[in-house]
Amino acid sequence: MPPSRRPPPASRPGGPRPGVLLAPLLLLALQGVAAAAPAGAGGPEDTPGLQDAELQRGLLQQAARAALHFFNFRAGSPSALRVLAAVLEGRARVNPKKECQVDLVFTTDHYNPEAGEERLGKCSARVFFRNQKPRPAINVTCTRLIEKNKRQQEDYLLYTHMKQLKTPLDIVSIPDSHGHIDPSLRPIWDLAFLGSSYVMWEKTTQFLHYYMAQISSVNQWKTNDDAVDFDYTVLLHEFSTQEIIPCRIHLVWYPGKPLKVKYHCQELQMPEEASGTEESSAVAPTELNNS
Amino acid sequence: MRRALIFSVLLGAVLGKEDFTGHQVLRISATDEAQVQKVKELEDLEHLKLDFWRGPAQPGSPIDVRVPFPSTQAVKIFLEAHGIGYTTMIEDVQALLDEEQEQMFAFQTGALSTDTFNYATYHTLEEIYGFMDILVAEYPQLVSKLQIGSSYEGRPIYVLKFSTGGNSRPAIWIDTGIHSREWVTQASGVWFAKKITQDYGEDPTLTAILDSMDIFLEIVTNPDGFAFTHNKNRMWRKTRSLTEGSPCVGVDPNRNWDAGFGRPGASSNPCTETYHGKFANSEVEVKSIVDFVKNHGNIKAFISIHSYSQLLLYPYGYKAEVAPDQAELDQVAKSAVTALSSLYGTKFKYGSIIKAIYQASGNTIDWSYSQGIKYSFTFELRDTGRYGFLLPASQIIPTAQETWLALCAIMEHTLNHPY
Repeated sequence: MPPSRRPPPASRPGGPRPGVLLAPLLLLALQGVAAAAPAGAGGPEDTPGLQDAELQRGLLQQAARAALHFFNFRAGSPSALRVLAAVLEGRARVNPKKECQVDLVFTTDHYNPEAGEERLGKCSARVFFRNQKPRPAINVTCTRLIEKNKRQQEDYLLYTHMKQLKTPLDIVSIPDSHGHIDPSLRPIWDLAFLGSSYVMWEKTTQFLHYYMAQISSVNQWKTNDDAVDFDYTVLLHEFSTQEIIPCRIHLVWYPGKPLKVKYHCQELQMPEEASGTEESSAVAPTELNNS
Repeated sequence: MRRALIFSVLLGAVLGKEDFTGHQVLRISATDEAQVQKVKELEDLEHLKLDFWRGPAQPGSPIDVRVPFPSTQAVKIFLEAHGIGYTTMIEDVQALLDEEQEQMFAFQTGALSTDTFNYATYHTLEEIYGFMDILVAEYPQLVSKLQIGSSYEGRPIYVLKFSTGGNSRPAIWIDTGIHSREWVTQASGVWFAKKITQDYGEDPTLTAILDSMDIFLEIVTNPDGFAFTHNKNRMWRKTRSLTEGSPCVGVDPNRNWDAGFGRPGASSNPCTETYHGKFANSEVEVKSIVDFVKNHGNIKAFISIHSYSQLLLYPYGYKAEVAPDQAELDQVAKSAVTALSSLYGTKFKYGSIIKAIYQASGNTIDWSYSQGIKYSFTFELRDTGRYGFLLPASQIIPTAQETWLALCAIMEHTLNHPY
């Protein structure tokens, strides 16, 4: 497991730090088509012998996922969540410190499969991975698919649905074992995914990527006059290690405003290491540029 | 009440496989002491072989007696001649026993036939094992059930064999559910089993395949893990074996095979999801398949099914070296994936394990390939992360249907390219 350290306080995610010289050790331009580029390479260990092309393709996928998590978090809109469709093109530069800058273009889909028409979004991003350290620095822009006002309307509609839910919520897990999410609980799932996006962005590295597998408990669900106060535990699935990681997330959501998130993930027990559990937790910076 | 009577009284006889066809159970009403005496006389006639469930006692108490078929007329005439009232409680004891047997069976399995079985929902281990028995009973000429071993916790490990005859014909192996949380795979396996029985004799491709080859299908490859996902932890992946010296349970059965065992691409930490185990084939669930395949000696295609990611993969997983048959395997994968997407447009990528997904050592198909089974493939079924392991049940049948097309492409290629 790569070591995690507390991220620098209030650092604003953006491009590479000014003054850092990136010696382009490897420069590769790839033109990909939707079905062509296979998914990520290797686990946390090095995979000697893999062609650079495969490594690069894997990196592009990783970068796209990280960028999208970050984008979803920053957009702060549970009704407008996006999911990766395909990487169109990109290139990666690795410096002697094994830090990696990826520039890429990718397409996106609606996260919610029931949502309206199929409209592919397009994003371009610069992602900076800091050699197995989490919290990649990200700069991402996406084509505007819905007008800001319309998006806020949808969010507010979602919020009114949330207000109608009877508390305390009598649910054990979402989805249930059979993958079923009651339509009335769908807004909870979407909001949970929004909060989880922040966590998944922070934890993604060149080698580790995450999916939200299940909300395993809802600890608190409060809808105040214009906000949702949501405390829940989510199970994240890390793909390359296949681990299931429980994370307790507490978010406050005001429709139309940036998301406030606090979280604490339970990392894997390593009996061989004297230190015991590793933990990662962070508070989202509350001052953010809206892109 | 009646049922309890039957089972308590007849249990011994049933176990002894006696036949109760035509036997009747009469309820006699003796209205006075004289009538009670008359019935006691009947009791003494041993040649009638009467079996009193509720013997003659006082007037007014009902007297229940099982009357074997040859004695029914005689008994009724006797009762009628003496004006003793009676009703026929059970017309035919055997018919009732048969019906109850069926219902008990159905209660266990939840279905009376594979036509009424619900394929669009996830089932428990008991329900799937029950399904297998029904399927074998319905298609005895085509399907048989083999037990290839017992799991760590003592559950039987079953494989369905689909065969139209011959002796150790070249065969295709398919397994689902090796990772217990990948529920769409076991569910698809159940659907495949039914599909094979439906299509034999109807679909030219499948018929041609089964006319020359056998199909072995292991639906619940990790029964302990599967039971655990139902009872305790839906996200359980590994086996449930205990590891000496560790508080953690389970070995990743897809890292426990003897191909690059222990190399990078698996974990040596028992508390991780990709723990490879203390040695190759340490897991009985894996060893059972190894023994079966080696003893059979004529498996020509080996397909192991997982979820999720939407990938079709071939060796190697443990090393970056290109497999000798890479070009052909890639072609087969491509046509399989094309067939799959033709149904619902589901996009699959394909390639070697190490390139398309990640380095994985000690995995199933690297082993099967090392055994000379050229057509070794791993599937990762739906989806790509939206629901992951918790794929909605509504997607079971579409997933199984599209995957079946890919399986047929692989099986057909195997049939047409004997080696």
